[in-house]
Amino acid sequence: MPSIMLNKIERKLVVVNETKNLKLLRNFVTEVSGEMNVPLPERNKIILAVDEAVSNIIEHAYDSSHEGKSEVEVILLSEPDKVVITIKDSGREFDPTEIEDPDIRMHVNEGRKNGLGIFLMRQIMDEVKYTFRAGVENQLVMVKYFKDEGEDSPGKDFAE
Amino acid sequence: MPQLTINKKDLGNNTVLLEPVGCLDAHTFEKMEQAIRGLFKEKVFRIIVSLPLLDYISSAGAGVFIGNITPAQEKGGNIVLVNPSANVKEVFDLLGLSQIFPMADDVEEALTHFQDDGT
Repeated sequence: MPSIMLNKIERKLVVVNETKNLKLLRNFVTEVSGEMNVPLPERNKIILAVDEAVSNIIEHAYDSSHEGKSEVEVILLSEPDKVVITIKDSGREFDPTEIEDPDIRMHVNEGRKNGLGIFLMRQIMDEVKYTFRAGVENQLVMVKYFKDEGEDSPGKDFAE
Repeated sequence: MPQLTINKKDLGNNTVLLEPVGCLDAHTFEKMEQAIRGLFKEKVFRIIVSLPLLDYISSAGAGVFIGNITPAQEKGGNIVLVNPSANVKEVFDLLGLSQIFPMADDVEEALTHFQDDGT
């Protein structure tokens, strides 16, 4: 199978922090990841990872009274071998990398829903990093590698 | 067009079929939550959710089923998921829910997941 070579592209979308904009966001990621030449199964997962990240920001970074009053910036960048997603907001500090992976059976038994989106982000992406500068900006960076056949990729086994 | 519509069909024997159409995400999950909670209020705990017309689900959507399956089972019912689209099935697989939730290929098979006849 030939290795995947992505097109070099950078695109930005700024959305207001409202859940109704998630569909617009997903349409944006669909379009740009197609231009990048991301293979379809991975494209769907990247759409999901971005949706989960922005959903978390809307839910956790702002009070509900602040919904619709701030902006979230989503930057998609591709190199030949990777997609880098950068998401910026100015809400309160919320570090998804500190949240532990859920025990899904316990979640079902107890009807708990927290941590599922972050778990999905980690399952899908090879790197998830977070930086916070008080009063300035939260920045979440997620990276997905597309390596040559045979090379080791830390995110390859997630669907098993 | 709304992002999510939910068709509802009474199958008899205290069993209801729900068919979500569209996207089940952080914007629309409350509509699904209300549909299931509404059935619980009517003492209906045998719920079949037909998923082939659901184009997209995120963790917020999956959370509706995670949050309600145990209460349904505690009342002698269940929530059975039928024939999810490839996109939706993949999310259940990623979350590890495919091994936990009862799944069926069609409504007839879904009915076999209920322990009694519903009467």
